[in-house]
Amino acid sequence: MQSETSARQWDGTLSPNDFNSSVAALCERWKEVNDSLPQWLWVPFPVVGDSSCNAAGYLTMENVYHQNASEEVSHEESILGDEELSDDATLVQSCGKDDMHVYDYHIVYSFNFRVPVLYFRGYRLDGCPLKLEDIEKDLPAYSLKGLRESKWTFMTQEDHPYLRRPWYTLHPCGTSDWMKVLFGSNAANNQPRPLHYLSAWLSVVGQAVGLRIPLGLYKSQ
Amino acid sequence: MAAESPTAERKVVVHLRATGDAPILKQAKFKISGSDKFSKVIEFLRRQLHRDTLFVYINSAFSPNPDELVIDLYNNFGFDGKLVVNYASSMAWG
Repeated sequence: MQSETSARQWDGTLSPNDFNSSVAALCERWKEVNDSLPQWLWVPFPVVGDSSCNAAGYLTMENVYHQNASEEVSHEESILGDEELSDDATLVQSCGKDDMHVYDYHIVYSFNFRVPVLYFRGYRLDGCPLKLEDIEKDLPAYSLKGLRESKWTFMTQEDHPYLRRPWYTLHPCGTSDWMKVLFGSNAANNQPRPLHYLSAWLSVVGQAVGLRIPLGLYKSQ
Repeated sequence: MAAESPTAERKVVVHLRATGDAPILKQAKFKISGSDKFSKVIEFLRRQLHRDTLFVYINSAFSPNPDELVIDLYNNFGFDGKLVVNYASSMAWG
């Protein structure tokens, strides 16, 4: 019955089982195409007495180093003609141990919204957590603009559903809507949708948090 | 000249296709240098449509990072000599 309804009018959400398939598909493909980021790893959180709930857990990619000398900044600075600031050597030096930011990303299935949700945190090499204003400085300009103007990528700090500690998250209330738009013309062909859902979703949330997703993930095999 | 190696100097034809209730452009196809970033395509769309937020995606598969080079997108997802880019106005899902 579920497949009938999804073939007619898909609502942009993902079932827990499809989330699992999508997690497996993403991990596998990521290994093949990614050469600069860490691997995704599934951490299960089995619910006692409920074996059907295998979407409980999170997909994690940790220790992603952020170079403070982002392309955007140096580019804008060079337009302004401020040669001292856009000097590569200076940037490398200023990007010492104190300035290096490390990010952890977790993907969690939301049983309420029936979509994936991104949780993330940033910290310095000494383990000191980054505040939202520090994180915003790491985001590309287009992301900040998007975050301020758009309702669907609203960044807040919330309890990580499994770790019970405050992490930053992107609010999922608009996810099913833009996923429906993204997969729109593919809606009749519901075969690849669950498998490609997470990678497609990642292309959008990755932009919001400044995470560059390898293009190879989207090439047809 | 054009059909040679897929280098960044090459010009790429971008075909902009409206989805949902997004306005259709009078000129939906245009040429852009392969060495340009995808952000240039997004900027062009924003200017043409007078909208700040747009949802831009390719192949019903993903939304390209604005920092991607147009030539990389073309080499991977181009078809029939052009790169088809879908756009939806954020109004459709705001």
